[in-house]
Amino acid sequence: MIRARDLTKHFRVHKRGSGLAAALKSVVRRKYELVKAVDGVSFEIQRGERVGFLGPNGAGKTTTLKVLSGLLHPTSGEVEVEGFVPFRRAPELLSAITLVMGQKSQLIWDLPPADTYAMNRAVFDVPQEAFERALKELTELLELGDLVTKPTRQLSLGERMKCELAAALLHGPTTLFLDEPTIGLDVAMQLAIRDFVRDYNQRHEATVLLTSHYMDDVVALCPRIIVIDQGKLIHDGDLRALVKQTDPDKRVSFTLVTPRADDELVKLGAILKREGQRATLRVGEKDLPAVVGHLLGEWKATDLAIEDPPLEEILRVMFGKAREGREASS
Amino acid sequence: MTRALRLVLLQLRVNIARAAAYRADFIFNGVMTLVSMALALLPLLILFDQRKVVAGWDKPSALVVMSYFMAVEAILEGLINPSLVDLVERIRTGAFDYVLLKPVDAQLMVSTSRQEPWHVIDLAGALALAIYAFGLRGEPPALVDVLLGIALLVTGVAAMYAVFIACAAASFWVVRLDNLVYLLGALFDTARWPVQVFRGVWRIVFTFVIPVAIMTTYPAMALLGRLDGRTALATVGGTVVLLGLARVIWRTAIRSYTSASS
Repeated sequence: MIRARDLTKHFRVHKRGSGLAAALKSVVRRKYELVKAVDGVSFEIQRGERVGFLGPNGAGKTTTLKVLSGLLHPTSGEVEVEGFVPFRRAPELLSAITLVMGQKSQLIWDLPPADTYAMNRAVFDVPQEAFERALKELTELLELGDLVTKPTRQLSLGERMKCELAAALLHGPTTLFLDEPTIGLDVAMQLAIRDFVRDYNQRHEATVLLTSHYMDDVVALCPRIIVIDQGKLIHDGDLRALVKQTDPDKRVSFTLVTPRADDELVKLGAILKREGQRATLRVGEKDLPAVVGHLLGEWKATDLAIEDPPLEEILRVMFGKAREGREASS
Repeated sequence: MTRALRLVLLQLRVNIARAAAYRADFIFNGVMTLVSMALALLPLLILFDQRKVVAGWDKPSALVVMSYFMAVEAILEGLINPSLVDLVERIRTGAFDYVLLKPVDAQLMVSTSRQEPWHVIDLAGALALAIYAFGLRGEPPALVDVLLGIALLVTGVAAMYAVFIACAAASFWVVRLDNLVYLLGALFDTARWPVQVFRGVWRIVFTFVIPVAIMTTYPAMALLGRLDGRTALATVGGTVVLLGLARVIWRTAIRSYTSASS
């Protein structure tokens, strides 16, 4: 279980203008600014939950994950992970969690991943039998094959990420902090990693807290999302409920068999996209059955798809509202 | 403790494998190391060409100090320095995160993370030089002096390690510390001379502040049968104090780790 109560993390950051004069001036007199990376965030995550942690760049997501995994001391507030205070770095806690960072690597660059795995086995004191079992399971799930015996520097980004995940999970952690685990990967690899995370979560009843810039990762994996912006929590709850609450309209995409003017389309819903015979309309929930019936029946449209609005759009609306609220209150 | 030892041995194995992955580098570095050893001897040989005794040290005795210097430097360059350079780099890039995420002592992990195995050649060279020096002297050291000399070599290395880890810990506050590492290297260079060569304030500095006396002079004096019991005990005590101080600095510094952003 993960619990954060009024968590804050502030950094004192050196600030200076651009140019040589400003650089020289900053040597003599420094100006500092207090950055509230995380500002009074509270949430609880139960064992086995998969939670998406969203926010724009610099919102405080990674800082929160680092506090939760014991890398950073919080400025104030309480944090508890699996019954431990993370920054005290109890060995029992560190053996029960893992942090995967898509932009950092723990694999030994010049040697095959197998050497990093052997090192982690010693570090986490994993018995040989359990280690071999875990490695076999991870090799199957991640389809590692002979990647583990090739020098890390010869692996592609996607291959390296798969090996990275195995290194992070060999000790069988039950709490996974995943910070952009699919960054820079192609779609096939993203899907493979998504499937893997879901499978691991179900097999081990592991708690997963995931940040990702790819909203598809979050939609596919996380029934619940926590959204922060400028260090403050602005939403915590069910993903579908959030979508419904923010923008209940559906996106209806279809291909016309006979050409229709925009004037005709507008009668069914707002046009979001039009490329020749292919169109996407925004349709209210209560009008949906009639519109779909019309498209399929009278217009004989093909390739019809009904989707929720993209999460990116929902978040954009949310961040806009949160900022307006903050500006109004200040 | 056995787990810590197992971990250190495994890190050593990984680093030997890493070094072996670049075979040409391994051979090249081995040769370079022999050349730099020969160069390190030059100033001493030139000096003793001019004078028989310097500050109470004759040539064979000064060569024993030099052999200690080479041995400690080999251990420094082979075992300690690469790890600390690696630490500074890890702090700068944020890769230190992965050290803190492991359920083992972070200081132990970083202090043993990198080794450059070819420096074992220097160590062999240091031993050969010590044997040569005692050959010149015409009398072998007594067994008890050898044992004390080896024990003080360990404390010498430990003292140097303490100074280096305390300085490396500063990189939690000041990210670029390359110059400090070079400065330490240059100061350590003074350890090739017996501490009695330095006078006044410099002798105090090199005994208590940058303890080159503990690193080379006292161990050499022990091997030569010239060290009194009180100084030997003070050497061990001084090393323990330095290690304790380094540990306190490390633990304080680690709290300031801000982890480079992803």
